[in-house]
Amino acid sequence: MIAYDRFTLANGLRVLFHKEPATPMAVVNVLYDVGARDENPEQTGFAHLFEHLMFGGSKHIADFDAPLQAAGGQSNAFTSNDITNYYDVLPAHNLDTALWLESDRMLALAFTPKSLEVQRQVVIEEFKQRYLNQPYGDAWLQLRPLAYQKHPYRWATIGKNIKHIEDATMDDVRAFFQKHYHPGNAILCIVGNFELATIKEKVSHYFGNIPAQAKSPRQLPTEPPQQKFRIKTIQRNVPAGSFYYAFKMGKRLSDSYYLADLLSDHIGNEKTGILYTELQRKKRLVSEITAYITGSIDEGLFVITGKLNPKRTFEELEAAIWPVLAQVQDKKMSKSALQQLILKLRTAKAFQDQGLLNRAMNLSFFELLATADLLNTEGARYEQISTTQLQQYAQELLSKNRCSLLQIQPK
Amino acid sequence: MFSVANPTQITMSKISTPILDRSVAPPLLPIEHISFVGPQITVLNNGAKLFWRNGLQNETSKIELHFAAGSATKDPLTASLCAGLLINGSATRTAKQIQKALDAVGAYYDVSLSQESSVVTLYALKDQLLKAYEIFHESLFTAIFPIKEVQELVHSRRQKYTVQEQKVNFLAQRQFQRSLMAGSTYANLIQLADFDRADRSQIQAFHAEHYLKGLKKVFLVGDLSTEHVLELEVLLNAYSSDIAERAPFSWQPEQGATHIEQEGALQSALRIGRPLFNKTHPDFCAFSVLNTILGDYFGSRLMSNIREDKGYTYGIGSHVVENTKFGYFVIGTEVGVSTREATFLEIQHEFERLKTELVCEEELNLVKSYLMGQLLKSADGPYAMLDLFANVETMGLDLSYYDHYIAQIKAVDAHKLQELAKRYLNWEEMLIISAG
Repeated sequence: MIAYDRFTLANGLRVLFHKEPATPMAVVNVLYDVGARDENPEQTGFAHLFEHLMFGGSKHIADFDAPLQAAGGQSNAFTSNDITNYYDVLPAHNLDTALWLESDRMLALAFTPKSLEVQRQVVIEEFKQRYLNQPYGDAWLQLRPLAYQKHPYRWATIGKNIKHIEDATMDDVRAFFQKHYHPGNAILCIVGNFELATIKEKVSHYFGNIPAQAKSPRQLPTEPPQQKFRIKTIQRNVPAGSFYYAFKMGKRLSDSYYLADLLSDHIGNEKTGILYTELQRKKRLVSEITAYITGSIDEGLFVITGKLNPKRTFEELEAAIWPVLAQVQDKKMSKSALQQLILKLRTAKAFQDQGLLNRAMNLSFFELLATADLLNTEGARYEQISTTQLQQYAQELLSKNRCSLLQIQPK
Repeated sequence: MFSVANPTQITMSKISTPILDRSVAPPLLPIEHISFVGPQITVLNNGAKLFWRNGLQNETSKIELHFAAGSATKDPLTASLCAGLLINGSATRTAKQIQKALDAVGAYYDVSLSQESSVVTLYALKDQLLKAYEIFHESLFTAIFPIKEVQELVHSRRQKYTVQEQKVNFLAQRQFQRSLMAGSTYANLIQLADFDRADRSQIQAFHAEHYLKGLKKVFLVGDLSTEHVLELEVLLNAYSSDIAERAPFSWQPEQGATHIEQEGALQSALRIGRPLFNKTHPDFCAFSVLNTILGDYFGSRLMSNIREDKGYTYGIGSHVVENTKFGYFVIGTEVGVSTREATFLEIQHEFERLKTELVCEEELNLVKSYLMGQLLKSADGPYAMLDLFANVETMGLDLSYYDHYIAQIKAVDAHKLQELAKRYLNWEEMLIISAG
């Protein structure tokens, strides 16, 4: 049970505080409700480029990192299709430094043409390092627009292509900040050995006078239900064929998210999952295979992925995989298998909840979704699931006409 | 319609707290004290030590076995396959049955192989750990390496290797290790042709020699009952610890530049480094400060220059890598192919600056505070504290080392750093590898 307090400033900033008496450190986590899904289709990669610019100095502070490092702390951030999340970890007695830094960059960034120019170059190198100069690195750049045709999940956080980053102007970034970076669009979470009254006072002091701004409504195009199987094959300089079967699944808070999560563990486990036992062990079609879910806020993807064995073909895999998935739909899993999955989830969660940073990030993310309470109550949603529900869900989920298949073939 | 603001409607808001001057940084407080708490130590019958940390106030637990089964041997593939197959079939269970039995108690495990040791870790909720370990112990101790599992792993490792071979990072790192550690077993790395010679009987022999006789130490974390710990000890006593000591370490490190061309690469991976020392050396603490300034934190000189000023890379860092018998210094990065030579020049420039200009007080104090904050974080909580302990224990030191480290960090001055830069950061003494 992770206890926390919640309060909201007059300017709309939502604040969570979780007291942890055992640590000498503090975590300050700031989640902004903006991700790649909020980008203009002609200016993709902005949320992420922007995350880089947030370290380039703010209105009153020339350099974000140096004061934090001098306080014994460090920071980082990540951008997803849904959110942008910044965090600082520092000795608790220097908490003020992190609040000072985070509040100033929420108030106003100091954009300079130089900082934009350099971060543009850095992001382009990141694009090359992670997506273009790696075997299979561009798989998700290809898979997203295949699986999504309308929803902005059709592009990756790094952007559709390098050109959008190359073309970014000062006006574009300024407008992006104006729209998305303000107290009403943020959730601040603090973890450490403090008193609530102290936290309230400090947070009001640093964040209280940042002007309020109306939250701009999010109107994303809805992805129409997929009616037909989609398949795309690309040739790349890779040693082995790889495949991505992506099935449409529900939103993060829907019942189907929990069903999909358990189902992906059940069929995707090495050694015990049916994908391994049938396709790798028995038929020797693949050298590796697994299943996972994307877990995005809007409709996500349930992905089965792996690599072909040498001399095996995509056609052979196609012929073999659907009967295996039909078995998943036809045969109910045993009650004991379900209990085991849930026990494993409990173990994993106990380890995750150990970390201060994890707690801060998860409290913030759940607060964005609905309420931070979910960190404590979500486990119960898994425990309520029955084997019948799982089977029914497999029948709905694993249908071929809701699947998009990307195949990467060696040149 | 026009509307005119009525000045009488404008009032000053009340100010209850001191006015916030955002241009002034909040005062900083130094870290007064870090307390280092050691584990309980039990010597097992076989001479290996069990280190146990409790006092967690949560349900988690783990047990971590360290074996003298690292990959720095004449046959690294056998060491690697053996580690990969430890929990894949035993006297009484198939690989699938083992996995199911561990699933039934909600346990996870991983095996991590370094050049010097193989570390096998089991994670479970504390009331399941003993049950999980019983399954795990039987699996590991009586591992039979079924032929089908061996074939499957050789096959999938070979394929993974061919994927790795396309990565410039992998190519540069391998060449760096091979050249830097030339003349020692640490230079022996797996090669593609090795997979054709994989041999089950050698894996079995390796298991018998390096695992059954090679238990070096055990780390245990969790609020377990004393009875449970005693039962774990009984199981651990099955191993012996009488593997022969490694031959004395010797090497003939190489210097100079080597480029590995990879057609079509968009980036080049770089490794620049030299032999150094581990924390048993008197210069280690002061060099840590120098290394941090140069390249081991986000505000470092290499990051500030090559990423934040030039935009040549997504990231660049320098590190001191420690083994039990030696250490080395290495800079690693991936840069656009067209900026490779420019990056070399900037790194040389940063070496020269450290050798010719004294580090200013502000930068030095920042890095000292940063290192202290990072040490405080590394000591936060039983898992982290046991890791800190393990880092010194493996070098034959104890936790008092960290008090020494703190004193050394506080004492180091700009002249000492300059002296170390002159001694250790000479471009002509570096091994320089690029790939891509």
